[in-house]
Amino acid sequence: MVRAVNAVDFWRGFALVTIFINHIPGVYLDKFTHRNLSLSDSAELFVFLAGWSLRHVVGRPEDPTPTHQLIFRLGGRAITIYAAHMTIVMLAIAMLAASARILENPLLLDWHNAAAVFNDPVNAHIGLVLLSHQLGYFDILPLYVVLMLFAPLIALIHRSAPGLLVPLSLAIYLSALVFQITVPTWPTQGQWFFNPLCWQAVFVLGFAMSRERGPGGWVRTNISWIRLVALPIVIGGIIMVWLRWWPDPTSVPEPKLLFIAGKTFVTPIRLIQFMALIAVFSALYPAIVMAAPRAVHFLSMLGRNSLQVFCAGSVLSLAGQILRYFFRGGFFVDTALVAIGIILLGLTAWLSEWRDRVKKAA
Amino acid sequence: MARQGEKGGLKNASLLAAALIAAVLAWASAVRGQGAPVLSPVPKACETPGAQVIADSPLPNIVAALKERKKITILAIGSTSASLRGPVSGGHYAIVERFLETTFKGLDVQIVHRGVSGELATDAAERIKTEVALANADLVLWQLGTADAMAQVPVADFYAVVSETVAWLQQRKIDVILVGLRYARSMAKDLHYQAIRAAIQDIAKKQNVLRIGQYDAEETLEKLRHEQGVLMSDTEVTESNYVCMAEYLARAIATGLFVREHPPKQP
Repeated sequence: MVRAVNAVDFWRGFALVTIFINHIPGVYLDKFTHRNLSLSDSAELFVFLAGWSLRHVVGRPEDPTPTHQLIFRLGGRAITIYAAHMTIVMLAIAMLAASARILENPLLLDWHNAAAVFNDPVNAHIGLVLLSHQLGYFDILPLYVVLMLFAPLIALIHRSAPGLLVPLSLAIYLSALVFQITVPTWPTQGQWFFNPLCWQAVFVLGFAMSRERGPGGWVRTNISWIRLVALPIVIGGIIMVWLRWWPDPTSVPEPKLLFIAGKTFVTPIRLIQFMALIAVFSALYPAIVMAAPRAVHFLSMLGRNSLQVFCAGSVLSLAGQILRYFFRGGFFVDTALVAIGIILLGLTAWLSEWRDRVKKAA
Repeated sequence: MARQGEKGGLKNASLLAAALIAAVLAWASAVRGQGAPVLSPVPKACETPGAQVIADSPLPNIVAALKERKKITILAIGSTSASLRGPVSGGHYAIVERFLETTFKGLDVQIVHRGVSGELATDAAERIKTEVALANADLVLWQLGTADAMAQVPVADFYAVVSETVAWLQQRKIDVILVGLRYARSMAKDLHYQAIRAAIQDIAKKQNVLRIGQYDAEETLEKLRHEQGVLMSDTEVTESNYVCMAEYLARAIATGLFVREHPPKQP
């Protein structure tokens, strides 16, 4: 039997749909996603809720999952995510190659960092397997793999010293910001778009907030006044984005990453605004359930099957980009692409749950 | 705009390219004997008679960096592949680095790679501001336009964001080189693609920014290969084009440094 509709699955489904839309650059409907009024975007929400979902594996404090089971289950999850990532990356490469052939446009072979795969296949394939070479818009799952590999350690630290986990995570995060520590890519030269040393903080905060002990318990107790503090931050973020009131990165003092907005390092401005957003919008879930129960059911279904839906969304967003190029975009094309894409995301989730039901019935 | 498919365009543009090459050689010879470096010509495979590859403009700020520190930091933003196989190790920007360090003895060139392939100009614009601050960049190499053209970004939006970003960089005394769209035969008659290309040309001209006409170069190279019966696979063509782009880029930067260091004497 599937999980009952709940806020976490709903928001996860919401993140999946907005990531799908945001990953079709130039699409008209992108203007209506929350990143246009927020310093953070759905990537933070996705990673935060991935951390939150760790609670299902770790178990309750009074009934914890045995350590060896925890390690095997999370290790297995990391392998599953890795396999899913490799599958969609290979599909994406084939899609770009086929499109380049059919549309007689070699520029498609250069899209989204795929050029190295075709121009330098020996090194690029090693890089793909090592996750040091990532296609554009196919770079969240490598982060997720790394986070899941470290998840047993995160869970065990929380189990033995719940008050230590968040300070430790923030210390790593701040070190990466102060010393600008990045993870390099290879064979193309650059850095991971999602710096795992920084993004681990979002994941850990998600996990910590999900727990009744430690910071999560404290937040639950004080959520009313936290929301009072969070609301002006959210409004301030909207004003900043709307009026483009960014701090000038060349003028801020060192260490600059502490004062500027950046996605790769999920800088403090983004992180604080995101946490405020979570605090405020988590209060709205009951009202959303009342106002749009069908949408909540649909998005929760997506959220319950997040890996499958994320993978389908990644492939569909690339297909959307190619089709937009072919059909020249425009309001009607964009609307049709996004609508069909969301229906297919729903079908992916439904098939996944149908398969589980058939398995259980058998 | 959109003259690239015309046969006559090649001949007309040849004067500009010839003038550019001649100018570089003249500068080289003018300063010879003063201990100044001499720019080597581009490899034969990259010669593009008839194409205006480099729209010449000054790079005043890296000259200052060269004088003060003997070191220039270049931020590479955009969507090119920085990976090359075969004899050119380290990616095509390594060609730029090696060329400059060989040409200007004692110069330390640091290239910071922060390209995100497929990124639209509007997203790159925000990132550029952060990355120049983090890298303390003297020069930004911005390869742009292809992703926007493919994503059907309105030309006016593209123009506004690129123009604003270039102005922002100039206000902060950071030089910028715009590396334009890549050439593909199928895009020659694509009006949107050509409009984005024209927008980059216009921005470079109006804001006095150095531009590498990658499209022009690649189109000319393809025609030459066709005329000479050179058979190359798509992959080899792409790789060769990247190498040539790096060669043009290296000479464009060197020329900017070279001329400021040793301005040619007026006749």
